[in-house]
Amino acid sequence: MNKPLRIALTKGRLEKDTVGLFEKIGFDCTAVREKGRKLILPIDDGRIEVVLAKANDVITYVEHGVCDMGVVGKDTIMEMQGKFFELADLGFGRCKFALATKKGHRFYGGYGVKTIATKYPNITRNHFESKGMDVEIVKIEGSVELAPLLELSDGIVDIVETGTTLKENGLEVIEDICPVSARLIVNMVSMKLRQQEIEKLVELIDKNL
Amino acid sequence: MKKYDLLTPEGTRDLLFEECLARRDVEKRIKELFSHFGYSEVVTPGLEFFDAFNGSTRNFQTENLYKTFDSKGRIIVMRPDSTIPIARLVSTRLKDAILPLRLYYNQRIYENNALLKGRSDETVQAGIELIGGENSKRADYEVLCTAVEALAMFDKDNFRLELGHIGYFKELVTKLDADDNAREEIRILISTKNYPALVDLLDSFGDNEVTRALKQLPRLFGGAEVFEKAASIYTDEKINAILSELKEEYERLSSLGYEGKISVDLGIVSHTDYYTGIVFKGYLSEVGKYVLKGGRYDTLLGEYGFDNPAVGFGVNVDGITRHLEKIGDHYSLKTPDAVVYGEKGHVVEAIAYARNLARDGKTVENSLFDTLDETKVYAVSKGIKKVITVGEDVKEIDV
Repeated sequence: MNKPLRIALTKGRLEKDTVGLFEKIGFDCTAVREKGRKLILPIDDGRIEVVLAKANDVITYVEHGVCDMGVVGKDTIMEMQGKFFELADLGFGRCKFALATKKGHRFYGGYGVKTIATKYPNITRNHFESKGMDVEIVKIEGSVELAPLLELSDGIVDIVETGTTLKENGLEVIEDICPVSARLIVNMVSMKLRQQEIEKLVELIDKNL
Repeated sequence: MKKYDLLTPEGTRDLLFEECLARRDVEKRIKELFSHFGYSEVVTPGLEFFDAFNGSTRNFQTENLYKTFDSKGRIIVMRPDSTIPIARLVSTRLKDAILPLRLYYNQRIYENNALLKGRSDETVQAGIELIGGENSKRADYEVLCTAVEALAMFDKDNFRLELGHIGYFKELVTKLDADDNAREEIRILISTKNYPALVDLLDSFGDNEVTRALKQLPRLFGGAEVFEKAASIYTDEKINAILSELKEEYERLSSLGYEGKISVDLGIVSHTDYYTGIVFKGYLSEVGKYVLKGGRYDTLLGEYGFDNPAVGFGVNVDGITRHLEKIGDHYSLKTPDAVVYGEKGHVVEAIAYARNLARDGKTVENSLFDTLDETKVYAVSKGIKKVITVGEDVKEIDV
């Protein structure tokens, strides 16, 4: 038998949604459901190997070709960039990137250079670059909402799902940047050398979305 | 201040012993292939003017070039590509040479990659450029066959050569009422096979034959069935000519004993924009990135005032070496046949004796120890089977 097709899943919610999708297709995913601490798990009688990784690492593994495919959020793709094929929008993991400020704060007023706090400096830079606007970007690792409250920044660029966290902290979305959802990515060489296997799997996924 | 005197810069590395053997062997086999097909080697400088890589069709990303300044303040880059320097060289020093010109190179290229991605900034690339020639079809076949051979000779079972034609995309996209930025966007989405975003973008140009064809473009790859699919999606005179040319190339290359090893991808829309005709990429199963890339570039030489057609390719020597290592092709260093030890007063004679053995094709080390016992211990520790002592007479001792 051929080497198994290796697919890297982003741990957490995307992993659960993808496993749900695989089960709908008819793959037996008990190995992933009862994984314990294992990180490489065979499904579909060993024809597919699921690798569990953090979002950024999914991209790294696929880019280097040690995993043939990956499931990762568009947010990570936009932030990390990289060379791979982005084959399908899986539809789940939906949310959006948005610019938020303290309620009533006039972000686009005045001449001063604005400061933005974010976990996603590249996306923020690209967004404001496309508007031809100079901003100062501060990278924050944890709860970004704190930065405008502590008056470190004028606004934040972050992922917004329901907006509850923003509301509870007196912040509001003033601009949507772009929608985000889970994507299926494929290594450029695997796509060519294992075309049939990959296209078959993509077809199954398309049918069951 | 912190001193970086024990490390090599990110993206570079030292090669030791077996790694050198492996790389040199790959280089040797590729160079032999090229020279047996009548190609002659050229070497271009590692440093070039920035302007050479910043022309209309020579758009290298500024941030990916290693840059410095010369003594007059002009911007210098470390060569990111060999084809452009060779085009410059041909258009100047070889403009009166008899055509066609067959040139090959084997040299390092540099790319300033993002940090911590595990990519090399310095790679060895070998390649050929076939310049001139009345019949470009013959030239295309020559270069394609050489490319197939350059992959097949390393692993005839696990390679793939993929053909495309830049004209297919260029024809379609000029029919689209889009500005340069939108065209570039479309190109990027096709090259990354980003179906969802491509469909969204093309929907804004309405629903017609051209947008439908462009939407399908990323899916037009695989075997012979691609030609039927493409013909059913969009046809006009130019596109038909391109497709039938590609189909012929696909069939004739496959029939050389490479069935299943040749494939087609009409969605190869390369970033380096000097290609004008066929384009192709080569893959090896154990390397996550293409190891060979080439195509026809009929207008590049004209930019240097030497209007001639040309076709060529480059192959990533480090990529091939890595593939060979992963499939278990190991190179090992040769253990010397003997250690030659000169007794007191016979040091020079011992070196001369060692030299004679070396001339006969033996591998020998000259002992730097003052006693025979230390020499023996050293030989045993390095796995060398024999010690030869040179004194009043010559004695061979097995250890």
